[in-house]
Amino acid sequence: MSRSVAAELLVARKRASTWILLGIWITLGMLFAYLSPYLTYRNGAEGQAPTPLTPMLPESLTKNLLGGFPFFGGVIALMLGVLAVGSEYGWNTLKTLLTQRAGRLWMFAAKLVALAVVLLPFVAAMFAAGAVASFAIARAEGAAVAWPSAWDLLRAVGAGWLVLAAWAALGVLLAVLSRGTALAVGIGVLYTFVVEGLFSALASQVSQLDGLVEYFIRANAYSLVIALGVPTGSLTDNGPGSFFGPAVGGGQALAVLTAYTAAFLLVAALVLRRRDVT
Amino acid sequence: MSDFVLETQGLTKRYGEVVAVDDLTMRVRRGEVYGFLGPNGAGKTTTLRMLLGLVRPTAGRATVLGARPGSPPALRRTGALVEAPGLYPSLSGRDNLRALAMHAGAPSQRVQLVLEQVGLADRAGDRFGTYSQGMKQRLGVAAALLKDPELLVLDEPTTGLDPAGMAEMRDFIRTLGREGRTVLLSSHLMAEVEQICDRVGVLSNGTLIREGTVEELRGGDHSLWVHAEPLQRAAQLLEALPEVEAVAAANGGLRVTTTPQAAPAINRALVHAGVAVSELRQERASLEEVFLQLTRQPKEEA
Repeated sequence: MSRSVAAELLVARKRASTWILLGIWITLGMLFAYLSPYLTYRNGAEGQAPTPLTPMLPESLTKNLLGGFPFFGGVIALMLGVLAVGSEYGWNTLKTLLTQRAGRLWMFAAKLVALAVVLLPFVAAMFAAGAVASFAIARAEGAAVAWPSAWDLLRAVGAGWLVLAAWAALGVLLAVLSRGTALAVGIGVLYTFVVEGLFSALASQVSQLDGLVEYFIRANAYSLVIALGVPTGSLTDNGPGSFFGPAVGGGQALAVLTAYTAAFLLVAALVLRRRDVT
Repeated sequence: MSDFVLETQGLTKRYGEVVAVDDLTMRVRRGEVYGFLGPNGAGKTTTLRMLLGLVRPTAGRATVLGARPGSPPALRRTGALVEAPGLYPSLSGRDNLRALAMHAGAPSQRVQLVLEQVGLADRAGDRFGTYSQGMKQRLGVAAALLKDPELLVLDEPTTGLDPAGMAEMRDFIRTLGREGRTVLLSSHLMAEVEQICDRVGVLSNGTLIREGTVEELRGGDHSLWVHAEPLQRAAQLLEALPEVEAVAAANGGLRVTTTPQAAPAINRALVHAGVAVSELRQERASLEEVFLQLTRQPKEEA
């Protein structure tokens, strides 16, 4: 198993899309979490409420960045999941992999472990870049440099990873079902924006939808980061990633996201195991 | 240990109403190069996919190296190239093989060895996506050899190769056969099969319609082709000879159905009768002729 995982990691490392998605993810994160708010802070228009500096300082590192994981990170992770598996159909490499040594499920498990490992640098790199940005801002503004505790950081990394994993698992499932990348990305993005996005926006006006929306990946992902201290007020002005509630408890969010991840991967594994590779 | 590396019994694959492979029973002996011959759409690739566990049969059974197709014990000792090689375009040839060697549990030293075997060591650092069709095909064969397999399944391995590359690949496959490996070679190129294979199975419309050595397939019917002047007189003389079964005009001469041993007597009879014989040679149906005859028949009957 370890050699198959190593093989999958080699492929992921050499794949341009991994690095492109990582670059987009970090750029988006830094743009929305630090650069844009800092420019507003420095050049705030008269008559408007001043942009607070505290969210951009090292002490708010985890709270400031985690808000971007449920939606923006989700879309990136969804694509990563789709590409990790869907490309194997597009390049005809699936048949090559399945005629090596291991059985189908063994190969699929190796691929999933590698994907889980690849998600870690996506989380870690975001926090590392955020640390650099917040430190630079603190220095520039003469503010105190106080970092979150190791426990807070660890929890944030864990929550960020789980949120990305749930979306990546959806990407894997869509790639297996559609046996490719294009349709899977299309359906995935459509689901993210139209189904979850629109229903969530509607739920803020139609309370009867709350019961449904509470089980969306988006609601549970936001609920998880809110449980870790992300202020709800900071999530209502996130463009397509805005979140107006309803939020559920952190424990429920953790359980639902874990269940989604497991269910997506289980269905994908069953389909992959049963279906012909033509 | 069974003499047969590969056995199928009533193997069938249906896609809805379409029968891709129909009740296929075949056996491939240990150490032989078995040619799987058939026109496009005959069911060759579907059969190979079933033997590799990529496609599940609708009915029937198969064993590969004594195990279930696609199971780890079978795959561990089988190398395969099915249709176009499926490798990562963004990885170099070497990295592709490294990744596959890891998946297959093959020693990493095999990577360089197989690259040299297929003559790609110099270009191994280039991305697979930049390779020519022929180079891709050779890397696909290298990938199939990584496990040092007992059984090699090669589906149209010379596709995309230039004539020199095809000849090289044929020599290479012959060498693999001489090394004692069992090779199941699917092809629709007669020359390829005729030159390489010990035994041949002809598949048409999903059914195995003939199996045997190339010699057996070409059959025992012999004929002579005679060019002589005057041709009509020659035809009359030949028809009167007891050794001759039939005479027919063909390619500006005469095709004489007879035994090969009758050639000197026929020549003598013509010369004694004052007919000038300018050419007399033995003719046998080529594998291509046999193949075309075999694969056309069902359509004509239908």
